[in-house]
Amino acid sequence: MLCVIALGYSAVFSFWHPMGAGGLEVSATKFQPGRNEFIFTGYNTHFQSDRASLQVFVANDSSAVFKADILEVISEAKAVVSVFLPDTISSKRFEFYANTDTDGTVKVESPVGSEGFVIEKGADVLDTKVRVKNNHSEKFGFPYQPIIIESIRNLMWHVPMWFTMFVVMTISFIASLRALSKKNIVPTNTINIHDLKASSAAGVGLFFCTLGLITGSVWARFAWGAWWTNDPQLNGAMVVFLMYVAYFILRKSVPDEEKRARLSAIFNIFAFVLMVILLMVMPRFAEGLHPGKSGNPAFSQYDLDSSLRSVFYPACLGFILLGYWLYTINYRINKLELENEEIS
Amino acid sequence: MRQKHALAGIAMYVLATVFVCYLSLENIETPKVWGAMLWLTGIFTAFNTMQKAFMNEGSGTVIYLYTLVNPKQIILSKAVYNAFLVAVLNLVSVFFFVLFFGTAAISGADLSQFLIGLLLGSTGLGLALTFVAGLAYKSGTGAGLVAILGFPIIIPLLITMVRYTAFALEGMSFSQNSLNLLVLLVLNIVSLVLAYVLFPYLWRD
Repeated sequence: MLCVIALGYSAVFSFWHPMGAGGLEVSATKFQPGRNEFIFTGYNTHFQSDRASLQVFVANDSSAVFKADILEVISEAKAVVSVFLPDTISSKRFEFYANTDTDGTVKVESPVGSEGFVIEKGADVLDTKVRVKNNHSEKFGFPYQPIIIESIRNLMWHVPMWFTMFVVMTISFIASLRALSKKNIVPTNTINIHDLKASSAAGVGLFFCTLGLITGSVWARFAWGAWWTNDPQLNGAMVVFLMYVAYFILRKSVPDEEKRARLSAIFNIFAFVLMVILLMVMPRFAEGLHPGKSGNPAFSQYDLDSSLRSVFYPACLGFILLGYWLYTINYRINKLELENEEIS
Repeated sequence: MRQKHALAGIAMYVLATVFVCYLSLENIETPKVWGAMLWLTGIFTAFNTMQKAFMNEGSGTVIYLYTLVNPKQIILSKAVYNAFLVAVLNLVSVFFFVLFFGTAAISGADLSQFLIGLLLGSTGLGLALTFVAGLAYKSGTGAGLVAILGFPIIIPLLITMVRYTAFALEGMSFSQNSLNLLVLLVLNIVSLVLAYVLFPYLWRD
């Protein structure tokens, strides 16, 4: 029951929440001393409806800030602006800010080349500090992340699937351990419950592993540009998938029940230990694309803000409960099938 | 594996594989490819050897071992022997690689670092595959299952070995490569411990 509520809640909110505002890009490619005109493009911003409070700044390494004149607001997300730059600047890096009352400050960090400037350390500050407005606006929405943007919603689906797989595989692992222990050796012709539990749980785990791979692949296409990338976590997930497929092939190829229970339990224990090493230990040592590694935007405590949390935690809970529920159903089906076989 | 003809067969397999690599690639220009091809040869040799790790024992020998020896001793002796065997075979394949492809691509290699990796990778392959071969043997379905069960299990090892070897052949300093070496070592130990603990359950009938 709780499972359905949590899942429903997270499903609705993962799509329903609007995205927070963010800065998408600026059209300028090269800046020269004097007037520079460019188009500032935001995402989910309110340039038009909040025209009165709109201000655009160009910051040069944050020490010098230049206020830009707004020439025209094309749409809610686009504004044509022009900025006057002196011929001495402190560095060649530029950052762009747009302030409105509704959205707070949105920022774009675009590589913009420059030409004809004299680089002077500590060049004079022309304008006052950027008036960065409070970014936590009253509206409730997912925070804006560059590149990921709307696909942040996948966080509520992709990540809990892996958590669920871990939980279900742990159930399978424990059941396999118990299937091997001496006091649980059952006489022939009766069902080894622990083996049944282990295989039912592994089946559900494999299901979630497949789902996780698919959602991950779609997300990777969006954020990293390819369906498959050479990332340790991806490769590890693939190996886990192969290992559990091998587990079921092993089960199918052993006709004797008692022997099947023993062999598959042994393989399952081996596979689980390798899985923990593969997905929890090895990715921490290697470079990869997943959040929190080699200069990638991480979903750290800073990024996972309250709006994401409020959906993410119920989603995890819901998925884990769903996984457990599927496991119990799968277990009962398998048990009935076995009993049926014995009767007929 | 105590028969001479079987060993000669495996050595011949190594030679043929390296020769096929040579025919299809002709020359190797980067240390990365050199290392990767070496390990591809290595894993196929290891699979070919390990498939027979238990199969070649006649049923009489198995019963004899079963009644006389503790299963832990069996797995330990088999694992040590097979790890040693794979290491020797990989050294042979390195020899053939040098013979066919020359050492131009790996002139900057750190030889001792490379050899340590070769040794650890080989023992890892030997240990993990001995265990899998035992499992396949007990399932009674023949050698085909070794490849199905073995491949997913050795992929982590393979990834680490290839990366480590590429670094070693490019001549990177040891400190940059020590993490890969650590992972190799951990995988070796995990394979050995799991095989040692689980094999008695496998062996009893």
